[in-house]
Amino acid sequence: METLTDENLMMDVARGNLDGLKLLFERHHMHVFNFLYKMTGDRMLSEDIAQDVFYKIMKYRTSYNNGKFVSWLFTIARNSLNTHFRNQRHTDGDMDQLNEVQLQEPEGREEEFSHLHRALSKLEASDRELLLLNRFQEIKYAELAEMTGSTPGAIKTKVSRALGKLREIYFGII
Amino acid sequence: METAHIKDRLVDYLDGTLEAYQREEVKAHLDSCAACSQELEELKTILSAFKNEAMERPSASLRTNFYALVEKEKKLDTKVLPLQVGKGRKTKEWAMGGVRMAAGVALLVGAYFFGKYQEGNTNMEQIGNLRAETLEVRQTAMLSLMENTSASKRIQGVNFITEQDKLDTEIIGALADRMLYDENTNVRLTAVEALGKFTSFGQVKDAFIKALKTEKDPTVQIAIIHTLVRIQEKRAIAPMRDLLGKEDTQPFVKEQIESLIPSII
Repeated sequence: METLTDENLMMDVARGNLDGLKLLFERHHMHVFNFLYKMTGDRMLSEDIAQDVFYKIMKYRTSYNNGKFVSWLFTIARNSLNTHFRNQRHTDGDMDQLNEVQLQEPEGREEEFSHLHRALSKLEASDRELLLLNRFQEIKYAELAEMTGSTPGAIKTKVSRALGKLREIYFGII
Repeated sequence: METAHIKDRLVDYLDGTLEAYQREEVKAHLDSCAACSQELEELKTILSAFKNEAMERPSASLRTNFYALVEKEKKLDTKVLPLQVGKGRKTKEWAMGGVRMAAGVALLVGAYFFGKYQEGNTNMEQIGNLRAETLEVRQTAMLSLMENTSASKRIQGVNFITEQDKLDTEIIGALADRMLYDENTNVRLTAVEALGKFTSFGQVKDAFIKALKTEKDPTVQIAIIHTLVRIQEKRAIAPMRDLLGKEDTQPFVKEQIESLIPSII
C-alpha cells in the first residue's frame, strides 16, 4: 500500500478531500494529546484542547502553507494551549499557580505520573514546552526555530540549558 | 579546555552531532573530569527517559467526536475562509494567523455553544421527565425514542441509555439493532460508542463482530475496530483480515487494521 506523506495528505485535504483528516488524526492525535497532557497534567482538558487543535486543522485547511505538517500541527497546539493558559490566568491569578495545581488530580481519580512527568512539571512552562517538542515529539531544532521565530542555534542552546535544569530537578527529587 | 565550554556540548555529544575534532575534545575532557562524566551519565538517563516515556491513550470519544465533526463539515457546503497571508516572514504569518484563528474560532465556538445551549434545554427537560418515570416506563420511552423517524431523536435515545447502570437484554438488543441496521451513520456511530460500555455481555460482543462484517462506513468501521481491539476480541481478527483484502475498504481503515491487529494477542 502506498503511504502518503502528511504534507501530501494535508494538501489533499486543503483541496477538499476531508477524509484525509481522519488519517492525519490517526497518525498524530496520540502525539498531540500526550504533548498537551504533559503540559497540563489534566487528561480531560488535554482531550478538549486536542479536539480543538484538529478542529482548527479542518477549519483552516485552506491556509495550510505546504510547510512541514507536524510543525504546523504543533504551532496550532501551542496556540490553543496558550489561549487556555491566558484564560486560566484571568480566573486563577497567575500561571505559577496553574503549575502547582496540575499534579493534584480530582478526587477519586488516581493518576500515576512518571518521574519524568513530575520533574518536567517543575520546570517553567516555556522550558517544559521546548523539551517536550524537541525530545518527546522529536521535532528538530530547525523546525522549532521556524515555529518560534528563532534560529536553530538559539534553540539548541535553550534546549541544552533546559535539559540542565531538568537534570537537577530529576536527580534532586528521586 | 574550559569546563563550561564542554558542558554546553554534552547534549550534542550524546546526540552524535559534533564534528570529529569536537568529539575528541569532549572525550579527552571527560577522561579527566569526574563532574562532567557524572553530568553526562545523568543527561543520558534523562534522554533515554524521554525516549521510553509511555504514551497515554485518550478516551475513544476524542476520535468519535472529531470524526463526527469531519462528517458534519463534509455536509456543509460553505466555503472555508482562507486566512489572509501577508508578505511577512513565515513565522509572522503563523503568528498573525494564530490571532485571526483565535478570533474566528471564538466566534464559531460561541455560536456552537449557543446552539448547544438551546438544544440542551429541551433535551434536559425530556431527560428530566424520563428520570421521573418508573423503570418500566422509562425503558418503553427509550425504546420508542430509538424507533423515532428523526435521527437526532434516535441518537438521544441511545445516549440516554448509556446513563443507565443496569440494562436488560431487550434494551441491549435494541441498541445492537441501531448499530447494525440504522440507516443513519451518526446513529450507528453513537450506538457503537454506547455499546462499548457494555462489552461484558456476550450478546454485545457478538453484535460487534457482526457489525464489523456488515458495516460499510469507514468512520463506524474504525470505531468498531477500536472497541474490539480494546476488549481483545480474538474473533475479530478474521473479519479484520477480510477487510484488508477488500478493494472497497478505505486506505486509512486498512492502515488502522494493520497497526492494530498485532495488539490483539
